[in-house]
Amino acid sequence: MTASVDQASRTKGAAPERRGGSDPRRGSFWFLLGPPAIVLGLFLIVPVLLMIAVSFRADLSGELLAPFTPTLKQFQQAFAGAGYWRVLGISALTAFGVAAIATVTAYPIAYFLAFRAGKRAALYLILLLVPFWTSYLLRVMAWKLMLGEQGVVNSVLIGTGLIDDPLDALLYNRSAVVVTLIYVWIPFAALPILAGLGRIDVRLHDAAADLYGSPLQQFLRVTLPLSLPGVVAAFFMVFIPTVGEYVTPLLVGGTGGTMYGNLIQDFFTRAANWPLGSALSIIMLTVTLGLVIVALRIVDPRRLLERG
Amino acid sequence: MHPRRSLSTLQSTMVLSVVVILAACGPGGATGPTAGAATQLPTQAAATEIPPDEVTGSLHVLDWTGYDAEWAWQDFKNTYKNVTVTFDFGDSDADQYGKMKGGSQADIFHPYTGWLQFYVDEGLVAEIDTTKLKNWDKVPDSFKAIGQINGKQYFVPWDWGFTSILYRTDKITTPVDSWGILFDAKYKGHLSMWDDGPAAVTVSSYVHSYDETNITADQLASIKAEWTAQAPLNKAYWVAETDLDQLMASGEVWAAYAWQGAYATLNGGGTPVAYANPKEGRNSWVGVYGIRKDSSNYDLALRFLDSKLGTLTGQNLVTNYFYGVANGDVMSGIADPAQAAAYTNTTTGATPELLKQTFSVDDPSILQKTNFTPNLTAQQRDDWTAMWTEVKASQ
Repeated sequence: MTASVDQASRTKGAAPERRGGSDPRRGSFWFLLGPPAIVLGLFLIVPVLLMIAVSFRADLSGELLAPFTPTLKQFQQAFAGAGYWRVLGISALTAFGVAAIATVTAYPIAYFLAFRAGKRAALYLILLLVPFWTSYLLRVMAWKLMLGEQGVVNSVLIGTGLIDDPLDALLYNRSAVVVTLIYVWIPFAALPILAGLGRIDVRLHDAAADLYGSPLQQFLRVTLPLSLPGVVAAFFMVFIPTVGEYVTPLLVGGTGGTMYGNLIQDFFTRAANWPLGSALSIIMLTVTLGLVIVALRIVDPRRLLERG
Repeated sequence: MHPRRSLSTLQSTMVLSVVVILAACGPGGATGPTAGAATQLPTQAAATEIPPDEVTGSLHVLDWTGYDAEWAWQDFKNTYKNVTVTFDFGDSDADQYGKMKGGSQADIFHPYTGWLQFYVDEGLVAEIDTTKLKNWDKVPDSFKAIGQINGKQYFVPWDWGFTSILYRTDKITTPVDSWGILFDAKYKGHLSMWDDGPAAVTVSSYVHSYDETNITADQLASIKAEWTAQAPLNKAYWVAETDLDQLMASGEVWAAYAWQGAYATLNGGGTPVAYANPKEGRNSWVGVYGIRKDSSNYDLALRFLDSKLGTLTGQNLVTNYFYGVANGDVMSGIADPAQAAAYTNTTTGATPELLKQTFSVDDPSILQKTNFTPNLTAQQRDDWTAMWTEVKASQ
């Protein structure tokens, strides 16, 4: 007995010495962090650095990896184009609207899955994710079939006698882009909210009921505040990629539905002007990060939770 | 009241990391070029010495989606049974150029007129030894000239076609005789331009009789204004020919900038369409194949290009895609009743009659009036494409 206590205290006392050396936890830390760090370094950090380097080139001529004289020409051109800023603003607004609507729409779905679906929650979750089994492109193409002049919506409206001539304003404009993007993002947005709701201790509901909180009060003062970190995560999960979206506007946006991502894509795949495309990418990256930092200052998920 | 506070800190950290990652993953990430291949001189052995069956090896072709189909390289497939051919794809000229510039190890690539100069300027393409091409004599001189840059044969011409105005004859009953219809407000919401800056400059040049090879800054500014005003008249810009086929077949678009493949496809599918002979002349484009400068498969690549000019491959191109081929014998065969079977394809609806119409075989004056796409300089490419992006950004 004495011996074992001694041994325990000795082990405890020895611990600080081992901290700097071969702590097995430290080993597993690097083991776990290593692979993702390597992947991110090679396929994210290096490409971003290359992109920054390319944005300071005057043009694409000559060896890509050879030294070159840096120039601000591309940024000057990007800053001078009033249309570029306009489209960036429109893209950010579109992304904000899409993210807000998708998040609000996804909330009841997540709420149902977390608290009402019971034993079938897993089944419903799979059903929610079924659309992801088909390609993104196909899902967007499906909207083309729905909204086209001879599409499902027009056929129904004409068939029921509500209109005589097909509406041609359904497809190939910004609203078509917004509708399609909201549809695409709703299941995605539901996941972080579901995770947020799942963390809530259900006994809190009982406690709120014991304190005579009505169901609405329970929701507004307990459930909603506690789920806000998930809601914020859902919002940004939709907002950030949507700012740079280009496939959906390309397919359903028509002439007037161009988004900032389309301009960048054009410079890479249709103009072979990587330097200008890189400059626009960096501007978008900076603006998006800036918006997110400002937004997180305003709605700090931690403070939200404390207030709840 | 804060049972899992530590988790919330973790979660907001995760939000931020996701934010950073997603933003950085946005489109436009430049890819690093692979290391340049060791320079290797083309082997000089005559291509005819070894029997085809004993030729082995593998070829890597950078091409356009669709041209990987066996029919598009049938002669090579039939002749060189022990050679492996692998394809990868570029979906625009800029994309192909970007891949080659970025260090693609493709032995063969497939650019179109307008985009040839850069490959030579940047040292990406090897000169073609035409003495080793058995089918070279069948290529008309005008086509050979298209593959010549700085007086040397760098490219082998292969597919070609027209660009003109394609229109629905049930919606537009008076024959279209000018590119100017693309600017006609009467057809607002029923027009479609190809999503391409140099193409827009070409159309404006035809309409205003500008010298396409020497567009001034003032002219470019007025071209930009013209297309900015034109943009709302479009139903949509089209990107791939299949987009246009759908837009025209559904009746959403009545008149469009179009290649003749779309005309033939729609005509074969029963849509009432006509292909205009504008008073400014049609445009014509030519696709060519080049061999990468440092390719270690130069000889095999030459054999591939020679087979591309073969009769069966050419007939396949004509009947499948309704594009012309640089082999003159294949084109003159369209009018030969004895070869009618070779020019019929029940799947695509190709018949000698439709092909005659498509290539205006009976009216040589159309070809005489046709404007061939000139080569762009890097400066023109950057200026014209930026002009077009600004047009799109203004909408």
